[in-house]
Amino acid sequence: MKTNQTNLWSFRKAAPVTRSKKFLLSILIVAGCLSMLHLAEWWFREDHVASVPLFLLLSFIFWWGMIRMIILWISYLGIRVPEKKEAPPGLSVAIFTTSSPGEPLSMFEKTLAACARITYPHTTYLLDDTQDPRFKEAAVKNGAVWLEIVGFPGAKAGKINEALKSTTEDFILVLDPDHIPFPNFLDEVLGYFENEKVGYVQVAQAYYNQYRSFTAKGAAEQTYSFYGPTQIGMHGYNCSVAIGANCTFRRTALESIGGHGIGLAEDLITAIRIHSEGWKSIYAPVVVSRGLVPEDLGSFFKQQLKWARGVHEVLFAELPRLWSKLSFWQKLSYLTIGTYYFSGVTIMLFLLIPFLFLWFGMLPANMDFIQFVLNWLPIAIVGITIYLYVQQWLCHPQNERGLHWRGMFLKFACWPIFFKGFLLSVRNADIPYIPTAKQAVKGFTPFIRPLMIHQLLFIATLFFVVIERRYFTHEAKIALTSGDIWGMVAFACIAFIMTFGGMYAAIESRKIKEEEPWEKIDLELINKKHRKSVRKNYKKMSYNL
Amino acid sequence: MKTIIYRSILVLIALGLGTGIFVLLTFAGDKTKGPLENIFSSVNTNIASFEKSMTGTREKRSQSLLWFDNYRKNKLFFNSPDSFFVGAYDDQMVESYESVVALEDSLKIKFPIISFYTAWGSKRQQVFPMLRAQAIYDLGSVPMITWEPWLDDFDAAHVGNTINAENKNKGGMRAVAQGKYDVYIDKWAADAAKFQHPFFLRFGHEMNDPYRYPWGPQNNEPQDYIDAWQHVRSRFSNAGATNAIWIWSPHPAYETYPQFYPGHENVDWIGVTALNYGTVATWSQWWSLEDIIQKSYDSLSLYKKPMMLTEYGSLSVGGDRAIWFQEGLSSLPQKYPAVKSVVFFHTNSDNTTTYKALDWSFKNDEKTKQAIIASFRSWMR
Repeated sequence: MKTNQTNLWSFRKAAPVTRSKKFLLSILIVAGCLSMLHLAEWWFREDHVASVPLFLLLSFIFWWGMIRMIILWISYLGIRVPEKKEAPPGLSVAIFTTSSPGEPLSMFEKTLAACARITYPHTTYLLDDTQDPRFKEAAVKNGAVWLEIVGFPGAKAGKINEALKSTTEDFILVLDPDHIPFPNFLDEVLGYFENEKVGYVQVAQAYYNQYRSFTAKGAAEQTYSFYGPTQIGMHGYNCSVAIGANCTFRRTALESIGGHGIGLAEDLITAIRIHSEGWKSIYAPVVVSRGLVPEDLGSFFKQQLKWARGVHEVLFAELPRLWSKLSFWQKLSYLTIGTYYFSGVTIMLFLLIPFLFLWFGMLPANMDFIQFVLNWLPIAIVGITIYLYVQQWLCHPQNERGLHWRGMFLKFACWPIFFKGFLLSVRNADIPYIPTAKQAVKGFTPFIRPLMIHQLLFIATLFFVVIERRYFTHEAKIALTSGDIWGMVAFACIAFIMTFGGMYAAIESRKIKEEEPWEKIDLELINKKHRKSVRKNYKKMSYNL
Repeated sequence: MKTIIYRSILVLIALGLGTGIFVLLTFAGDKTKGPLENIFSSVNTNIASFEKSMTGTREKRSQSLLWFDNYRKNKLFFNSPDSFFVGAYDDQMVESYESVVALEDSLKIKFPIISFYTAWGSKRQQVFPMLRAQAIYDLGSVPMITWEPWLDDFDAAHVGNTINAENKNKGGMRAVAQGKYDVYIDKWAADAAKFQHPFFLRFGHEMNDPYRYPWGPQNNEPQDYIDAWQHVRSRFSNAGATNAIWIWSPHPAYETYPQFYPGHENVDWIGVTALNYGTVATWSQWWSLEDIIQKSYDSLSLYKKPMMLTEYGSLSVGGDRAIWFQEGLSSLPQKYPAVKSVVFFHTNSDNTTTYKALDWSFKNDEKTKQAIIASFRSWMR
């Protein structure tokens, strides 16, 4: 799929949810749930149990994924795109963006210039601890207020909390510095604050550099559904989360929780605390800015490790503390997000199963592979249908539709990261220092090693099996075990193929040319597109009159 | 109120249509099970035969059973044998026949017959055991399959609702004869035909024992058993499964067996169970082979069919097992010329008869093994 570059710079929003579409969706979901019951009825038969502990383990890791899928489907049932509200004039609005040592100046020049073009009256603040006078110049040149905030813990969040003390605006948009906002950003979100209960408005996170590499494409693909149907569904249950970037907060909401949360998943911490104080949240499925997604595998892994570690912190520290103050759907939502990275553990156990059998003859279940496939097939068909059906509520369907196979490969490659994140969280340890991409460009990222070990293990096992059966297996045994052995080898082979995505990304990442993607962006073009769409809307309105 | 009704109706319709899609998919799944499974199993067969060719240079057991090839390739030789076939059943052979091979090696012969048991029913392992039969054939032997009609192992979905679900065994043979299990029988027979090679089929064994199996006289009239036998056999003919060699195998202790004989043209071999339980139970004592089979032999040999001791073995409680085997085996060809085959019952956990598992195996009983070897030698003289 080729991405049309200029295409990315127009305002986009998810399609409205009509009653008939939602009705069709609920039919599919009912079919999905029944297929699930059908599989469960088959799965939990007594004669499938080969070894009780191993069968329990296998059931746990398999149904872990299935139950998450059902929860996702249930969240789709709540799908509701909020009705656009016109921003009332006269609100006092601040935009906070933060800079740290080592971040490229030219990126800030672009972002600050784009902030200046946001049409709703506002004040942009650059929260700066670079101690580099050029950053101040860039702020002043673009009409932003420069605030020097040095030496506060908690990176971004620490600076935001400091800046909150010295500013007075009622609404604060926290903008990631790699994000280039569109002129209508504030017009799209401020209207929702008309309801006094609304604590924050999150918008979709979109990217403009996904064309740069396999990693970037895959990483972007992983987010499309989340910022489309998933968050829209969560919005329907008032449990959409602030995550990623570009959340607009009501100052009193932030103050009610003692300021922006600090941690590796600071947005999520802030969101859960605001929810626990009884504020409502809005998810607006609109593309009003575009930012950067990691281009090389090392940076992507680093980001994922941070998130895995951070999100577990929400699970272990915030969720139990705030449990009683959350609604049922909020509990379910934070529990589901909080345990997302646990898939590192389940995938690893899944990988182990064929090796346990091929090396030690340990078998968890007496299941016929074919029978399994046949019983599982209805879920696969309905599941894919639902996945594709809800893509009509992506923010930018023309660009984002698809099976997102790169995203799947990339997620598989992440299991060691997720696993590590989980272990670190259980031990309550900090994430280790990892060299940045620039330093790691010449070699593979160290996090690809578990995948390579897995590949070697598979190849060695394949050799072992072939040699064993060619020369040593007794002829009185060979035919009787052929189906089981090669069935397991085929099962292991699926996982082996899944490692190719990560390996390809790792190899490709060594050759990525460094580039500053923001250099190419023409803010004037964005403005032109914006003016055109405003004119079109205006014309439409006058026709209506 | 109106909106509530309206919405409830919408919910109900969604539930109904969702169920519809699910039923459609399941139905489609059931329909396609045949071809899909066939593709998978043919892949499996191809891999197995590829493996067979891969190991081609290795020494093969079938090489030492070449003399037997004439018999197993021609049913006529089989049913009027001029030789003697030894076989065994060993319960350690679900995944491998190594235990049988080890046993025969320790007895210094090769078994032309390898015996195993399979039950009727709806479970996937209750279809014709193609893989196991083929593996036995590849080893140079012929499978003897004891096929047990445990009718309560069937799901209602598999056989339809025409059968009394409460107690399928009561009058079960009548139901079989009436064709109520034809779906199952036909599939089994068709698969057996695909196997192509001759195999022994011991259907509904010990049908005259009222205390043992549900297909016995406590649930069925003798005539029903005969009708069932003839019906099953005719289904096999229809399916082209003429490679089955039918063993009618009553229990020698109950002299009612003539009532159950399905007729000369419907039986190929006659089997006799010859197990010495020793003093393990109150109803048993140390009986020699003669004690066990003499009476039944006198009567059954009149049918002029080759005979087989289908389960031949002794426990070690209450007597000398080595002597038991030696006495029984060494005089066997002279005393019982109609007996053309013995199949050792070599299992160490038989719990079909008593509340605790019985050990019939003698693989660790050197004396018994030597006695058996000596008996075999005495035949050569």
